[in-house]
Amino acid sequence: MEPGVLIQILVWGLYAGCIYILLAIGLNLIFGVMKVVNFAHGELLMLGAYATFWIYTLSGVNPYLIIALAMIILGIIGVFIERLCFRPIKGTGKLNEIFLSLGLIYLFQNLAALLWTTDSRSIHSPYSNVSVSVGSVRLPLDYIIIILFTIVFLIAFQLFMKRTTIGRAMRATSQNRDAAALMGINVERMDMLSFALGSALAAAAGSLWLISGQIVDPYMGSIPAIKAFAVVIIGGLGSIPGAIVAGLTLGIAENVVPLFMQSFAGLLGVSMSFTAWKDTIAFFILIIVLVIRPTGIFGEKGE
Amino acid sequence: MKMNKKYGILFAVLVVSVLLVFATSVGQSKEPGVEEIKIGIVAPLTGGASTTGTDMWQSAVLAAEQINAKGGVDVGGVYVPITLVKGDTETSRESGVKAVTKLITEDKVDLLIGGFSSGITYADQVVAAEHKVPFIITGASSPIVTRRTDIDTSYFFHHCPTTDDYPEATLLFVNEVVKPEIYERFNFSEDRPLRLGVLYQDSKYGEGVYEGIRKAIEKHNLNMEIVSAEKFKMSETDFRTVLTVIKESKPDVVYVAAFLNEQTLIVTQGRKDVGMNTIYLSVECNDDPDYYTGVGRWGEYSIQESRFSPYAIPSGPIHEVVEKFKEDFKNRWGTSPSMMGASTYEGVYIAAEAIKNAGTLDKEKVRASLVELEMPQIVEVMQNGVINFSSDYRESKFALYMEQLIWNESVGETRPKIVWPDSIKETDFVLPDWYEPGSSPAATATATKATEECKTLWYFDEESLKCQQKEFCGMYMYKGLRTFETEEECKAALDKYLREKREVKETPAPEEPGFEAFLTIASLLAIAYMVQRRRK
Repeated sequence: MEPGVLIQILVWGLYAGCIYILLAIGLNLIFGVMKVVNFAHGELLMLGAYATFWIYTLSGVNPYLIIALAMIILGIIGVFIERLCFRPIKGTGKLNEIFLSLGLIYLFQNLAALLWTTDSRSIHSPYSNVSVSVGSVRLPLDYIIIILFTIVFLIAFQLFMKRTTIGRAMRATSQNRDAAALMGINVERMDMLSFALGSALAAAAGSLWLISGQIVDPYMGSIPAIKAFAVVIIGGLGSIPGAIVAGLTLGIAENVVPLFMQSFAGLLGVSMSFTAWKDTIAFFILIIVLVIRPTGIFGEKGE
Repeated sequence: MKMNKKYGILFAVLVVSVLLVFATSVGQSKEPGVEEIKIGIVAPLTGGASTTGTDMWQSAVLAAEQINAKGGVDVGGVYVPITLVKGDTETSRESGVKAVTKLITEDKVDLLIGGFSSGITYADQVVAAEHKVPFIITGASSPIVTRRTDIDTSYFFHHCPTTDDYPEATLLFVNEVVKPEIYERFNFSEDRPLRLGVLYQDSKYGEGVYEGIRKAIEKHNLNMEIVSAEKFKMSETDFRTVLTVIKESKPDVVYVAAFLNEQTLIVTQGRKDVGMNTIYLSVECNDDPDYYTGVGRWGEYSIQESRFSPYAIPSGPIHEVVEKFKEDFKNRWGTSPSMMGASTYEGVYIAAEAIKNAGTLDKEKVRASLVELEMPQIVEVMQNGVINFSSDYRESKFALYMEQLIWNESVGETRPKIVWPDSIKETDFVLPDWYEPGSSPAATATATKATEECKTLWYFDEESLKCQQKEFCGMYMYKGLRTFETEEECKAALDKYLREKREVKETPAPEEPGFEAFLTIASLLAIAYMVQRRRK
């Protein structure tokens, strides 16, 4: 395989990794603070994508500028979900929380189908015709923007969590809820903010997904959500650095590994395509990590 | 006394009931015992394919309403209305089986029509086979639905082109029209096989199309070579890596077997992100307004195989009929019908004709009537203008056509134009300026035309080690090509070349390790492990 082709495939993997990272960090944040696994997280990505689609269709504004608005909208939706759905059942048992979030999946899918029908929707980025040459490789500008956006988001998120009072309060709540409450932190407000922030990150992932030329329909959230869960488990529940490393690893691995498998099969004299095994790679990595290190790469015991 | 009173009431009730039965049955002009023809429409009314399923249902309703407006179906001399019953497969196998079971056992339908998705139909047709219910399959493209041997398929009638039909028509078009255009522009030798890249869905549908491609190449002895064949999982959304792999194999055209959402992403990602500026070939299920909206400008000049288009109508006698169908559908439902809708619409008319010919609703007689059926085409062009089912696998034969997507500035989208066959085409095929062919040393940006100096020479090269003659024009030299004025010179040079090749002592290139090497290494490792364990 030519080096230029490999570089191009690595870029596709990096792009996929960025989407998984944003989704997984949101999931980790919600779990870290609320100790709740939100199975409807993929549907928040879907709603974020639809929000961007809708605003773009109505206004025609550059979709990259709409991302912030979509994040605010989903943040507000996240507040409502936490207050109206998860807070009333807090403490009643994990099963209730699981079934609630499963119910939210169907609610959001059918709501989206009602509002926008089941037809696929897409938008065209204003930079879709622009490419940047990096050596012998030609990379579409959109992907470079998406990767840079993700880096900026991550830096901003880290600064928020480490340098702001609210961020420190959220971290304290995730480390020890009771102690945080005793120290005067309003833990219920932290739950609300973490859900809002997690939803906003999912909206960012959905918006970038849509802008890159993907299609949005009411059922598109399930696969990215499953991959996000795999990233969270591989990286370690509640670990942000783990989510970053695992997201990148997964995104690159699912693009590159099938090609290596194809080459290896070719060496054995077998002509076979492994590109349809993309999703299998993710779960294969998940199994290997769980066997070697059950708490995930950066996870801690007890979670 | 009390007992007499009780028996008296009972007798009175019995008499009244009998009188009522007579009263309701008198004065009705229907076949005794037949009040309606119940047809089950098997379609995905919810789930991922609900748009198509809804279209199928709406088309069936339109057909039934039109037939009923004329009095219904003549069953043995009396007119009987059609009643349609929904069988929602929910775009899943399990729900498909449930839906068909309910239609047959609870709703007691006389006949089934529909069946979108080969995988779902493959599952739910088992129930229809068990109960011997005639099923006109209008939405599954895999030929397996009437060719499988594990169940009795004699009650299934396939009114939909199969995955053998699409590639045959498409590749014949490519061979007759696309290939000559490419070869003329880039001065390729006629001997050069056309390089075909294939990207197909990992499902019965996709594998069926891929198999159909191979069969078509063999059947018609087409000078084409499959340089890359890659699969993807159904509902995949990121095709960039697999398209990059296909691009590396340098195809002249890329044949894609995908559903609408997938096809849209493949073409846009292929051209926009991966930069593979080739001719994309698409299967008919993507001839849909959503596809034209989704691909935007990136889909320009791609090829769409079709039999019923929302925008293009074949010229000829069918033109008016199709326009009327579209108008009626729009008046009834407010939208345009799709391909699956068109064949389901026809399915209802086929069922009506078969029942009329049978003169009864007896399922075996209706089945026999379908076997013998021959009726004029309705809204889709059929071979010889007739709808009938083949004697071997009960498949009807469509006259497929090819469209090219051309940008329409007034609507801001591409629109299909029929480019083949000649009998119904609207315009000529256009090879775009941005088109890049597959690998060839002679392919350069400075393509020359026949006006340049040409001469006929004898030649051989490293690929075809035999003397052949052909016309060379302009800058034709490439590595390994040797040309001669006469055949004798060519043969003499070829003999010398082959001799020298045998005599030359080249440094042997290392062979790639094969399976034997793998087995040897594994065995050595196993032995080392066992020795180590024994030592412990």
